[in-house]
Formats: sequence, structure tokens, C-alpha cells
Amino acid sequence: MSKSSELEIKNKYTGEVIDTIKADTPESLRDKIKKVYESQHLLNKMDFFERAQNLSKYAGKMRFKKNKLKDLVVAEGGLPIKYSEWELNIVLTGFRFCDWYYQFIEDKPLTGIEGEQNVIIKYIPHGLSACISPRNTPISLPLYQLGANYLVGNGAIVKPSTACPLTMLEAFSTMEDTNLPGLDALNLIIAPGEWAVDEFLKSHLIKIIMTVTSSHTAKDILVRYGRLLKKTSNKSMGVEMYTQPFKQFFFECAGNDAGIVMNDVNLEKVAKWNAMASYTNSGQQCFSMKRIIVHRDIYDDYVECLVKEIEKLRYGDPTDPTVDIGPLGSRRILMMMDVMVEDAKNYNTHIYTGAEKIDTGEDYGLFYKPTLVEIKPELCEDLTKAPFLWREEAFGPVRSITKANSLKDAIRLANASNYGMRAVVYSTNLEEIEVFKRELEAANIYINARPMLTDITVALGGIKDSAYPSGCKYYPQELVYQKYIYDGTPTNLENIK
Amino acid sequence: MKSSAIIKNNEYKTEIAKKYTLFLTQYPEIFSDLISGSIFDFAIYNSLESYDNGSPIDSFNVLSNGNGIEIKPGKAKEADLELALSIDAVEKLIKTKDKEEYAHLLGSFFNEPDEENGWIDFMLHKRTQILLDMGYGKFAQTAGILESDYNNI
Repeated sequence: MSKSSELEIKNKYTGEVIDTIKADTPESLRDKIKKVYESQHLLNKMDFFERAQNLSKYAGKMRFKKNKLKDLVVAEGGLPIKYSEWELNIVLTGFRFCDWYYQFIEDKPLTGIEGEQNVIIKYIPHGLSACISPRNTPISLPLYQLGANYLVGNGAIVKPSTACPLTMLEAFSTMEDTNLPGLDALNLIIAPGEWAVDEFLKSHLIKIIMTVTSSHTAKDILVRYGRLLKKTSNKSMGVEMYTQPFKQFFFECAGNDAGIVMNDVNLEKVAKWNAMASYTNSGQQCFSMKRIIVHRDIYDDYVECLVKEIEKLRYGDPTDPTVDIGPLGSRRILMMMDVMVEDAKNYNTHIYTGAEKIDTGEDYGLFYKPTLVEIKPELCEDLTKAPFLWREEAFGPVRSITKANSLKDAIRLANASNYGMRAVVYSTNLEEIEVFKRELEAANIYINARPMLTDITVALGGIKDSAYPSGCKYYPQELVYQKYIYDGTPTNLENIK
Repeated sequence: MKSSAIIKNNEYKTEIAKKYTLFLTQYPEIFSDLISGSIFDFAIYNSLESYDNGSPIDSFNVLSNGNGIEIKPGKAKEADLELALSIDAVEKLIKTKDKEEYAHLLGSFFNEPDEENGWIDFMLHKRTQILLDMGYGKFAQTAGILESDYNNI
């Protein structure tokens, strides 16, 4: 796409053009950044709870547009209609009850050794935030980025994926229709990442770069930022000085989540949840259960149950309410699934089901049948030699499964990954559950949880290559900095008069 | 056994509010997850516009007193929240035959609101965290407003 053009948004299943929209140019993008930056003070005229109430009311209004929004999510995102409800609910629930996040940014008075209370930690918005969203979530992540910034008082520019911007444009127009107070401090830009990211990195008005992307793209953004930093001829302590200030980078990246099934659970019930956790949205989810680790005592029986569940999944027209698997988001994903399965075949793996693609030869209507590949446990330990499917994120409906000899072995296999977003465990042994909680290397541990929770407590974040900075987190937490204030006035006022 | 009491039943402005309070007294168990002292408003609106303007055609409040519920006309002085309902929604809700049908319909008015067919909404007057501690999250599930999980996938 050139730097000034119209953008055709196509239906991911039929290829029909849904709409043609005007894309931003570098000039219009810079204008938007400037306008949002200059309007940020509008947010500071309201306190946290006023902003929270505004978002809550907005979520109430959005419910009346649900059917229209769902249709857009299905058409431009390719998400099955039954899943589109979840995509909307997760963000609207968050907005509805967003004052809940106050607990993370509430003033914290601290008591000193002698009992004095001169110190308070306050949470201050960083400033203008530029957010980049992925194509697999046409509304939940971009709207959450916009809302979280609004909630804490940061201006925000959000760039939805150019593959599916219509749902977010509709969501933003609802903000306009409902006269969301302080709306000038928010905006969307419609532009491809290739040059939009550079504009964000170059802008001295932008304080935060927040992206949901692959780990490799996130690292590429850091490298690009490094290249943009210009040295001056001035030196400090013998080191050439840079003029540009630091920016805050927040990356939500890839997941290669392990899901452990122990030998003391109901296999049929867990297999049902496993199929949902692994293949919902065609497996195009960072938190999808991608590496399935099963205790050897139940391995064969569990595989039988799981394959049965996988083969029940219906793929096809995403508008059909019985369809579980919609079209893939891009040809690149189809190719990646193909490459991962072909690579796995070189390792003497066993394919239990799937491994077939449906390729229309176009950029729409692309499917990969839900696939389950057995990988021998001895191949999983050394990540330099492990199959591609085990070591990298399979962002599509292909999953690996392997056998663990014991609890320790299951933990070792689960931790054999460069990623650490979530880990899932199914077990009824209370002592073992405590060991899993302690030993699993992931930022979010789900024990015996239903998949696809929409509870407000659901956190983002990861460790290793899954997120930067590390840890489980909620967006509002990331968008503020802590300010330490020591006020010695009550103690020392007389001494300094 | 939970009990229900309607106080000052002759002070309602509308017949529909009176009918709705009578209807609710059949199912005091819907409110059993709320801690004693929880109090919230039911407000009936004849349009979305009147909701935006905060002008209900009628209202009443429900107090959970530990033994059951007390229903009084008008809004409470310090309600925890307001449950807003369109008049079309109330007319359909009071025709439901059992608690399950009522909860299902109430949930559909929340999850698939429609200006003509009916809608419900709520406004929180206290912080979410406090309301969750008072049992309103569980209440919302029992009443059919919020699903505990996403069950339709």
C-alpha cells in the first residue's frame, strides 16, 4: 500500500469488498498525533471515576450495536459468529466495570520506621500513547488499548490492523455519537505498520509505544528505534550524547502455551475444554493452548477423546452459527501451518488428525483443518533441535501433543519454551497443583479453568519472549509511572521557618 | 425460607410497576446472594432518551434484609446501583412463567438489547469492587444478567 490511498476491506471468507475507506498519509497521521497531544488536558479535567463512568456508559450504548459489530467482526476478521460474542464481551465487560482497575493505581501512603506517614506513591499517566493492534482481534484489543489509556488519562492513537479496521471505526464513531467527554484526546489511524511505526517512533510527542504483535516484530521495533536515535558531536564522560528521550515500550507478544493433562481427571470433559482452548478462532490466539502435555498413563485414551472432539469442530462459513473454525487471517498463516506440519514430518512425528489445507488460490477463504501432531518428548527438550511446531508459536489450528512420565517431567516439558504467556493445568491432586503453581514458568497460570474466560480479573502479560516488560499485568498498570512524594512539612515546618 | 414484603403498595405511579413488584415477590431467592443491607433501585423508562435524561416513569427499591426482601416505592436514598428497564421489557418479563424463563429473558434484554423489543441496563453508584464484595456479581448471574463463563462456544 502506498503512503496515500484508499483501502479496500475484504470479507475473509467470500473475498467481497465490504467497504473502501480512506487511509491516512504520513501528514494526516502527524496532524492527528498533534491534535491528540494538544487535547490530552481534557482528560485531566476529569478524575479517574468520571472517566470510568464515561467508559461504562459507552459500553452500555455499544450493546445496542452488538449485531452490527458482530457482523463486521465476522466479515472482516473471519471470526465465527459464535466466537464474535466473546470478542465483544471481553472488552465491553472490561469497560463496564473499569473502575475495578483503580486498585492498581490508587495512591499508596507508606509508613516509615518511626511510624511517620510522610510518603505517598502516586500513579501518573505517562502521556501520549501510540498503540498497534493485531488482525486476529478486530475490536477487543484495539478498543481495550484506547479505553485503558483514556481511563488513566493518557491521550491515545490506536492503529487497528489494516486488514480489519471497520469494527474499530464503528466503535469509534459510537464514541462520537455518544459525545464521549474528552474524545479529542483519542483517535484512530488507518495505515500500514511498515511506515506508521516509524512515524510513531520518530514523534517526540509520543511517550508510549504499545503493541500486540509477534515477539520478532517487537524486537524489530526496538532495533528500528535504536537506528532512529541520532548521536550528537557532544560527549558526556567520553560517550557521544543522544538528543532523543527514552520512550516506554510495552509489548504483548507471542504465546506458546503449554496445557498439562494429568492422570486423575475426567478425560472426556477435559478433552472438550482442550479442543476449545486450542482451536477457538482457528487457533489464532496468543493465549491458545498450543503444546499439549499428557501424562503417559492416560495418553492413548486422552488422545482418542481429544481427536474425537477436534473432529467434531466444523469449519466453513463464519456466519453459520454452527461453525467453529473460520477462515485464516492471511495466506501467510496458511503457509506457516503448512511449513510447521511439513517440518514436523521430518522428525518421525505422528499426525492424529488434520494436516490438510483448503487453498482458494486467493487471499480469502483459506482454511487449515484442525490438526494434532504427536511430538516425541525427547525431541522437545533441546530447543535448537526441536521441531518448528514445538519451539515457535503456531498461530493457526495446528497443535502439538507429547507424553510426560511424571509431574516433574510435565513441568520440564512445559518450561522447554522461549515463551511464557500462560500455562494451563488439569489435575485433581491438590499437592501437585501447588507444585505446578510454583514451578511453571509463565506469567499466567490457569488451574482447572474453563477456557475463554471473560472475567474482569483476566490478565495480560507474559515472561521470556511473550511480553516486555515481564509479568502478568493489566493495561492501566502499564500506562502510568510511580511518583514518590516525601512531604516533610508536618515534621519539619518549624525547623525551616 | 426467604420472604418478601411490599411496603406502601398504593404509592406507585404506574400499574406496571405495581405488577412488577408483585411478580418479583414470587422469587425472593433471586436476591439471596446479596448481603444483608444491600439496596438497589429498579427504574422503568419509556424510552432510551428518558433513560439518558434520568427520567423514569416509575421506580421502586429492593432491600435485602437478611431474611428476604422488602420492596418500597421510589428510589432509595443511597442505592448501591440502579437497574434500568424499558417498559416493553417489564411487560414481557412479568408474563414469564418461572424463575428460569424470567432469568433467561432478563439476560437477553441485557445481552441483546433492542429499543423496540426491550432492554435493560444498570448504573453503578458504588465501586465495582465493593459491589462484588456485596454479592452483586453472583446476583447478576442468578438473575440472568451476566453469564459466569462463555457458554456458547
